[in-house]
Amino acid sequence: MAKIVDARGLPCPQPVIMTRNALQECAAVTTQVAHEPSQQHVARMAARSGCTVQAEKLDDGIYLHIAREGTPLEHTVPQPVGAAGEGPLVLTIPDESMGRGEPELGQILVRGFFHTLGEIEPLPGTIIFFNSGVRLVVEGSPVLEDLLSLCDKGIEILACGTCLDYFGLKERIAVGEVSNMYTIAETLLRAGRVVSL
Amino acid sequence: MTQDGFSVILVLATSHAVRAEKVLAQVDVPCKLIPVPRHLSSNCGVCVRVRRPDRKAAVQALNAAQIEMEGVHDA
Repeated sequence: MAKIVDARGLPCPQPVIMTRNALQECAAVTTQVAHEPSQQHVARMAARSGCTVQAEKLDDGIYLHIAREGTPLEHTVPQPVGAAGEGPLVLTIPDESMGRGEPELGQILVRGFFHTLGEIEPLPGTIIFFNSGVRLVVEGSPVLEDLLSLCDKGIEILACGTCLDYFGLKERIAVGEVSNMYTIAETLLRAGRVVSL
Repeated sequence: MTQDGFSVILVLATSHAVRAEKVLAQVDVPCKLIPVPRHLSSNCGVCVRVRRPDRKAAVQALNAAQIEMEGVHDA
């Protein structure tokens, strides 16, 4: 019998936390969420925790049927310091321009950087945009074309939802996914290598 | 991104590249500032990439705006 978690209408990251807690106690959990962003966040957390996820869209919300295989989830980050190294390469973009100093020059450099990224190796597994870096993933971004092309190559693009919200850009995201600090922190801690622009 | 079907215009300084971009926008020639490709060399690290069919119009517009070009190459 699956444990039911009703997270409809709850703000991010509550649905993720409630689902995670339920999975500590129960091997099968059904989480109800109201919107697709919550669905994505919960599903991603579950998948990364080794669970299977099936989504069902009903009139009263989205039902995520989550089944855990094997042992219970661990409560905290289990990786000891220094155990990383085999995870994906993660690139963080904390600013809309590259380097400090002249903003116009920084814009030229960041445009050049993302153009070049499409032509070299190794490619990062994930690119995380936060703070004013999120301006690069919205409509009108000078690097949108390059990011869409990187996305097509299978690179995961995450944009900090808090940051998009702060700048009033949440509705204008044009590439990647709106993410939260749980996913961002987990992605960073599970990375083999993190490169910050 | 593939560079097939593009021309790159080398200029003398980064500020010229920025100005070139503005000039080309005024004449509706789509362009992109990109790092100078490895097989080319330039005084400036940034160049202007245009679609090859727009090459002639771009060069004319930059000449008219008195932006000195170091070279134009089909990429």
